Amino acid sequence: MTTLTPSRPAFAPSNYLTHSRGVLSWAMTLDHKRIGIMYLLGVLGSFLLGGIFALLVRTELIWPGQTIMTADQYNRAFTLHGAIMVFLVIIPSVPAALGNFVLPIMLGAKDVAFPRLNLGSFYLWVLGAVLAVLAMLSGGIDTGWTFYTPYSIEADRQGVIWVASAVFILGFSSIFTGINFIVTIHRLRPQGMTWFRMPLFLWALYATAVIQVLATPVLGITVLLLMVEKVMGIGIFDPSLGGDPVLFQHFFWFYSHPAVYIMILPAMGIVSELISVHSHRHIFGYRFIAFSSVAIAIFGFLVWGHHMFASGQSPLMNALFSMITFSVSIPSAIKVFNWLATMYRGRISLNTPMLYGLSFIFIFTIGGLTGIPLGTLATDIHLHDTYFVVAHFHYVMMGSALIAMIGGMHHWWPKMTGRMYSETAGRIGAIGVFLGFNFTFFPQFMLGSLGMPRRYFDYQAGFSQDLTELFHVYHFLSTLGSYFMALAFFWTAGYLLHSLFRGERAPANPWGGASLEWKCSSPPPHDNFAEQPAVGDCYDYDQIEWDEAAKGYRFRENYTPAAAH
Amino acid sequence: MTATILGSTAAMLAQLAPFRSDDAAGRTFWLPPGVSSEAAQVDWVFYLIYWICLFFFVLVVALMVLFAWKYRRTRAGTWAPGPTHNTPIEVTWTIIPLLLVIVIFYVGLKGYVNLIEVPANAYEVNVVARKWTWEFRHRNGATEANVLKVPRGQPVRLTIQSDDVLHSVFIPAFRIKQDAVPNRTTYAWFQADRAGTYQLFCTEYCGTQHSSMTAMVLVLEPEEFERQIAADAAWIDQVPEEQLHMAGFRLFARCASCHSLDGRRLTGPSFWETHDKWGTSQTLEAGTGTVSRVVDENYIRDSILIPQQDIVPTYPRSMPSFQGQLKARELDALIAFIRRLDEVVDRSGKPVSGVN
Ligand code: HEC
Ligand SMILES: [Cu+2]
Ligand SMILES: [Cu+2]
Repeated sequence: MTTLTPSRPAFAPSNYLTHSRGVLSWAMTLDHKRIGIMYLLGVLGSFLLGGIFALLVRTELIWPGQTIMTADQYNRAFTLHGAIMVFLVIIPSVPAALGNFVLPIMLGAKDVAFPRLNLGSFYLWVLGAVLAVLAMLSGGIDTGWTFYTPYSIEADRQGVIWVASAVFILGFSSIFTGINFIVTIHRLRPQGMTWFRMPLFLWALYATAVIQVLATPVLGITVLLLMVEKVMGIGIFDPSLGGDPVLFQHFFWFYSHPAVYIMILPAMGIVSELISVHSHRHIFGYRFIAFSSVAIAIFGFLVWGHHMFASGQSPLMNALFSMITFSVSIPSAIKVFNWLATMYRGRISLNTPMLYGLSFIFIFTIGGLTGIPLGTLATDIHLHDTYFVVAHFHYVMMGSALIAMIGGMHHWWPKMTGRMYSETAGRIGAIGVFLGFNFTFFPQFMLGSLGMPRRYFDYQAGFSQDLTELFHVYHFLSTLGSYFMALAFFWTAGYLLHSLFRGERAPANPWGGASLEWKCSSPPPHDNFAEQPAVGDCYDYDQIEWDEAAKGYRFRENYTPAAAH
Repeated sequence: MTATILGSTAAMLAQLAPFRSDDAAGRTFWLPPGVSSEAAQVDWVFYLIYWICLFFFVLVVALMVLFAWKYRRTRAGTWAPGPTHNTPIEVTWTIIPLLLVIVIFYVGLKGYVNLIEVPANAYEVNVVARKWTWEFRHRNGATEANVLKVPRGQPVRLTIQSDDVLHSVFIPAFRIKQDAVPNRTTYAWFQADRAGTYQLFCTEYCGTQHSSMTAMVLVLEPEEFERQIAADAAWIDQVPEEQLHMAGFRLFARCASCHSLDGRRLTGPSFWETHDKWGTSQTLEAGTGTVSRVVDENYIRDSILIPQQDIVPTYPRSMPSFQGQLKARELDALIAFIRRLDEVVDRSGKPVSGVN
């Protein structure tokens, strides 16, 4: 055994995992780390369920005609897939799961500002998740995750009420988490950590939290109105009662567009950390990145109408929404350039988290650029509601948001579990996910621009023969890709599980990160820090040195930063 | 007479089975053939964006790969000095994309304005979307399901309505798309420049048969178009009384999404099922309880005009009302068609031999 050195408190006999034992000690815990882990398990479980339905959907489409299920079953499967992935996986994945774990430690704090509220959010999430999944599995909701009226308020769709209540509850979980993070960042920053010394992940979480708090209530109101309409028959969205179905779309996208940024902003925050830490190079253009998060959060509220260019809304609105939509592309471009500049003259370790970071840049660039023809009026009319849109948002939501989340999981895995996973297995997994993802979704761009509409159970009945043949090629490739990606995910799950039992013990700072979470042991003790740690520049890697004994990095003692360059 | 009826019926039913369209001619890797007057401009915008995006994509990925390789870590513990920010550069890469997107927005807006500004001389067709059929009504009264006939080289305005939920008209070859919204009228226009058969899709999710809610667009030479439309408007009145059940076959296209002719249970009962219980009495679900009705002309008429009144057990309440959509004689034709179904098709839905 190695001797204990300050930089390697080793598997501290008392860490947050061993602090107390028993199911109740988890169920009633107020420790942000345990709550984060529970969220993570919930999110990964939902990801498995949503993923299984994705594979069913892809399998149905592998051949023209009916393959493994009926049209009605297909409609339920894609609804389930979409609703679970959006509401139960991507929205909570980074903020609630990783954010909960990392945010207080990055701040050098002992916990979030309101630990009880935090546990409350988690139970609301569980309640909402159980309700949603039960309602969808038993009742069979076939509206798509968008619940567009009047289809969703037709008489034989009673189950919609239950799913709507579930979404309402999940919304509150999200709002509470947002409030908690905002207050935590305002109140619990340690001495010396000014706003511009915060890690960029915290900026991203802060901007996200603001959106969560401001936008989610609108979702709540929308589903409430939906329920009022269904239960009491008051005409709001239902044309047969004098309501307006397009109004629903406005309400819905007023939340759901900003929700895209609830998904992508924290992911960008993670990538800023990944790229900087694993390039061992000070982040380039800190302020531009930080402000671009804020800019995205603000502009994100003003562009919802770009989902409705073909809905019959007025041409003037279409023009305005198209114009504002382009303003969101600028801050996103800035981030990509800044990440590249961060890599310039770095010392890049091509390890698993970094490979996920690079995957993100590749995929997000495609996802972002393909947003341009969708924001452009003339071309969106053709591309709207085709597979081009499906491909675009999977590039952004799955390929970017989710891949960043998995990259973040690998980055903080040693911190969370105290174990190292096999680096080789990790790299194989990262490359597999990357290839599988592109293999699955790239063909869908061609499908869409060639005219294949989305949410189609079949591409044979009513299709000309040559179109069936053409679409079949791309659908076939896409489905094969999805199987490949599924394998890569199972592989990843496999070596991560293996690492829990057989992995080497993780040093406090395996990558050479300089933000505060790398100062406490892996896994962190119950209180994170015995006393408030000193705060420096969290991207100044001169303060880090290799410690052979610990097989990890440590912060230099008595380090004085060089003058800013 | 019967031959013409059956001829166009065959065309109508062809869409249930895969058919050939002219969507292949002129297709490129990314886009279907552009057949309308506006398609060229839309495609121009598409490719402008495409090349700009490709440039930036290649730039980003090339730099990423280059840096990842060139600055890869060879030895632990060496750190790179380097700038942490550079305001002129950062401002530059903010401004350049900004200028580019302004240009893109502008050309996109121009193309869009052309897509919505209907020329004054446009020929108007009313489009009614209903689960899961498209109905096209011409001004001379000709009405057809799932086949849109338009003249070549003349602007056509589609006035779009929906009877139930949202649907959307999408004709890839013309680069147009417009939602059909209940209680609202929306519109779209195009001018097709090449005669042929093109495909129309529903692109707003509308339930079970969303994916087969397709239609054929037949672009005809103007004289041919005039001739066919005139014949379509008058045909039902020219059908002799004893051939009325044959005419019903042609009208059946509007029912085909929910009723089969081969005994299969779709959303509604197969017409064979209805035919077989002709004259017998059946139990129906009405409002609070059940009623018993004899299956006869009146029953069929009520089923078509006020379907919500009583429901065949085990089926959903999803039959739309055709009140005001069918001429009296068309209704008669449909009733005769169901009653004398065995004289029109066999049990597998094929026209009975010797019919023509
Ligand atoms: C959206 C699907 C749909 C379309 C389109 C549709 N129907 Fe129906 N139809 C139904 C359903 C469902 C039922 C059974 C429930 C009921 O009785 O209303 C039904 C019932 C019927 C019945 C009673 C059948 C019986 O066995 O008692 C008749 C007759 C009928 N439809 C005729 C038509 C005709 C004629 C058309 C075309 C002009 C048509 N339907 C179009 C869905 C449809
Ligand atoms: Cu959006
Ligand atoms: Cu549809």
